[in-house]
This record gives sequence, structure tokens and C-alpha cells, in this order.
Amino acid sequence: MTASPAFAGDASAGSDVFKSECAECHSIKEGRNKKGPSLFGVVGRKAAAVPDYEYSDALRAQSAWVWTPEQLHSYLGQPAKRANPGTKMKYDGLNDPKQLDDLISYLGTLH
Amino acid sequence: MLSLPYRRMARRTRNMTVLYGVGAAFSLACTTAQAIPVYARQTGSACADCHAGSYGPALTPYGMRFKLNGYTDTGGKGFKLPVAAQLIGTRNVPARGESSNRLTEADVYLAGRLTDQVGGYVKVSSNNDGHNRFDTKLSDVDLRFVAKELKLGGKDLTLGVSVNNNPGFQDPIAALPGASSLGPPGVTGTVLNPSSPNAPANRVIGATVYGLYDSRWYGEAGTYNSLQRSTQDRLGYNPNGDPGKLHDTGYVRFAYMRDLRRQFFSAGVVALSTKRELPRTGGPKDKLTDLGYDLTYQYLGNREHIVQLSYVNILEQRKYGSLPTPLAKPRGTVHDQVATAAYTFKQSYTLLVSHMVSTGSRDDGRFFPYGVPNTTANLISLYWAPFGKDDSYTAMANLKLAANWFRFTRFNGASDNIFGAPGTNARDFNAFSITASVAF
Repeated sequence: MTASPAFAGDASAGSDVFKSECAECHSIKEGRNKKGPSLFGVVGRKAAAVPDYEYSDALRAQSAWVWTPEQLHSYLGQPAKRANPGTKMKYDGLNDPKQLDDLISYLGTLH
Repeated sequence: MLSLPYRRMARRTRNMTVLYGVGAAFSLACTTAQAIPVYARQTGSACADCHAGSYGPALTPYGMRFKLNGYTDTGGKGFKLPVAAQLIGTRNVPARGESSNRLTEADVYLAGRLTDQVGGYVKVSSNNDGHNRFDTKLSDVDLRFVAKELKLGGKDLTLGVSVNNNPGFQDPIAALPGASSLGPPGVTGTVLNPSSPNAPANRVIGATVYGLYDSRWYGEAGTYNSLQRSTQDRLGYNPNGDPGKLHDTGYVRFAYMRDLRRQFFSAGVVALSTKRELPRTGGPKDKLTDLGYDLTYQYLGNREHIVQLSYVNILEQRKYGSLPTPLAKPRGTVHDQVATAAYTFKQSYTLLVSHMVSTGSRDDGRFFPYGVPNTTANLISLYWAPFGKDDSYTAMANLKLAANWFRFTRFNGASDNIFGAPGTNARDFNAFSITASVAF
């Protein structure tokens, strides 16, 4: 799966964004969870669906969420505590639109 | 006044103490607190998430947060055994004296999370005395209770208590000499410099209360008491390095820091005030007041090229309780400064250069023979740490190979004839070493 054209960013640049914004808490390796769950195959995945990761009740409650590019854009573009009150994810949000598009494009390559 | 033979004996003893102190400081700088795999096992993170070079010691902003959170952050995968170990082998080539190849240090770390609010770091170090006998000592300790995710005025607040044995070691920014182990090793120095003779590092116990507000404003205050000489001895420390009996000791720290993800900077001030009774004979006390500031900057980018800069400036004001000689002055100052620059490539290769300067006000009655204690030293280190990254072969162990060059251009106020007699020069303390460190 690739990122939707609406958020077609530069996946290569998104790799750098991932390293500075996400990599401390998330691995791109399948099955490797850090403070946050593995982001391998995240695009298109249902929320709170990685096995062996202990999600917050707040995210488990979002059973209808699927990590589409649109959902990721909305979620990552604001503080995590606002996007999903009660989440244990600590992230202030990425407010640079280009970096956000690049990042989501990069996440779409993680298969 | 002492007779000539006694003066010579006293001078020789003092010189030997100085030599021992310089060697110890060199060792300290090269084997300071490192990335220990127990934290990686606990969090699921890579060593390189918390450290610029994947073996440490320099912290990234993420590592600072882990420390501020009391070493309690977890990957949620249940209990992990909070034990790690480190072995260090060294090829040491001093400018004077014999070269050696030794297993120089074996360490055990008890570290990590006990509960969601309690965690810590305890290092027990066993050091080769040069004759393949190992002296075991309790090294740095930092036990924490922390209350996380509090709110004040709509902003994040973290509050905690640290029980530790080395003023400055607990600092999250880790630029202060107690945390970086980079301090000028001279014939005297500030209380906050662990390389100073009779420094309190590891020979005191104290508690500080700290808080981080809005992820930017850091404040800390606490107090310390020195351990009894017999306790220092039992913990593995030569009582000759006793910091003395400390009274009315206060430690205060404020800092402003900004984590901009690709960059980080901080500016802080620190103060430590104490009355020191040394020797412990119930006699007069020295009033010592350390006032310092520190500046740091990190360029992190995408972690491919990391640059870390720091500058620490500590001024110690001294009001002496006694005058050992008629020439001695009742007051004085000592000034320690450390500037450090490090470049790390791919979190595997690090070049570190540190410039350390200690100066003091003139006192012909205390600093023989030149009346000033001034010392200038440099540490130049090149590291290679192949593991400890997300894509490394193992997160269970780590390795570091390092080449270290420790050099002096001035010691005890002079470059040549540093103890007054011909034949002893500051550069005699120079040493080159290659170390191999393994942590698991």
C-alpha cells in the first residue's frame, strides 16, 4: 500500500522526519515494540491492533479507527492527548504540513 | 615549621597524592556512566535513543527525559531483571612509567524500574589496583521517586526526589562535572568537580527534590552529608580522600531547556554551599560556596550527524577557617571551567575534545611553590560503538573501543618544574590509552 495522493509526500525525506520525530519510541521492525508499538505496516492497520503491545484503554476504545493516511494526518497533526484523550502517547504533534506529508508517505512504505 | 626532611617527606607525600589523584581522574573521565543494556531491555528502546553515541555517555533529550522520569519508563513487557555488567580492558601508555595491558574494571549495575514511580541507578565498580587485585567500591548512586504526568496551569509537570551520592550526577542535562566526569584534575578544585582532591563525589549521601515544568523549566534543591571515614572505607574508598565533615550543605539548580527535536539547547545555573571541617578534628571550618553556570547545545538532525557542545563555569568562593602558614590568606577563589565538543557519526563513531582549566587566586601559603594552583588539561577521545542501535545485531550487549589521549599543559601553576624541583613537568601526566568496553 502507498500513501494516498492527497498526502503524497517525499518518502525519502519522511525517513528523516521519522528519525527525528518518531524513532525514539517506535521501531519500523516487525514485532519490535518500544515505548510505542512497531510501525511496520501501520498504514491500513486497525488502531490498537499490534499483538503483544499494551495499548491504553483510550486507544483500544477507538475500535473503528483505521490508520489510513487521512487518519494519520489528523492524528499526528495535533497533540496526541487532544487527538485521543487518555492515550499514553506523548507527542506534541507535527505542525509542518510538508513534513507531515513526507512522514505519512514514508510510513506507507513500511511493509 | 617542619624541619627540612619532614618538609621533603610531606612534599613527596603530597606529590604522590596528586599523582594518584590525576590517575584516578583520568580513569574516571574514561569510564564514566555509560549506556547500560538493562535500560534497553526495560524500555525496548535502543541505547542510541538515549545516548548520542550508542555506548554513551552523552545523553540525548530523550535520555534526559528517561532520567527525569526516574528510570521508570517501560516498554510494557513485564518485569526485566534490573542487572547489567561491564568489563573494561585497557592498554595504558603513560608519558612516564611503564605501559600496561590490563583488565582494568569490572562493574555491576543495579538499575531500572522497581515500580511505576520508583527507579534507580547503582554502580558497583571493581578496579584493578595494578597488581591484578581488584578493589570494589560503591560508585554512583541515584535512587528516585517520581510523580509523572501532573498538570499545573494546564502545563505538564514532573516532580521527583533523588537520593544520590554525587552532587551533579543526578542532573538531567548531564553537563555538570558530576554527571559528565569531565573536570580539571588539579591540586585543588571546586566542590562540584569530582576530580578535585577531597571531592565529595561518592563519599556523601544526599537528597534533592526536583521538578520539570512545561518540559522546559527545571529546578532542584537539596542537601548532602558526608559519610563517616569508616563508612567510606567500607564502601571501598581510601579515607585519605575524605571530603571532611560537611555542615549546612545546600544544593540548588535551575535550568531552562528546549527540545526542538532536531536541536536542543539549555542554559542553567547551579550553586552549592557548605562548611567543611577537614581534617575532622573539631577545629575550624572552611566556608565554601560554588556558583556556576552551564550552556549546552545539541544538533541532532536525523541522528546521522550529531554535534554536542557544552560549557561549564564554576566559581568557588572560599573563606578559610584556618591559616596553615603565616603567608596563607583567609579568603580565596577557585575557578573550574570545562568546554567540550563532540561529533558523532551514525551514532557509532564519536570524536570528543574537552578543554579543562582550573585557576585560583594567589595564595603563597597554600599553593607551593608558585602560589597559584592553575591546571590546564585536555581529553581527546575517539570511540567506536558498533551496537546499540535499532538495527543492531543485539540489544542485549554493547561494545565500545576507544582511544583516549589525556594531556596536560600546566599543572600546579606551571608547565615545567611543577613541584619546584627540576625534572617534573606537567606533560609527565600525559597518557594515551586504548580501552575495550563490553556491557551486557
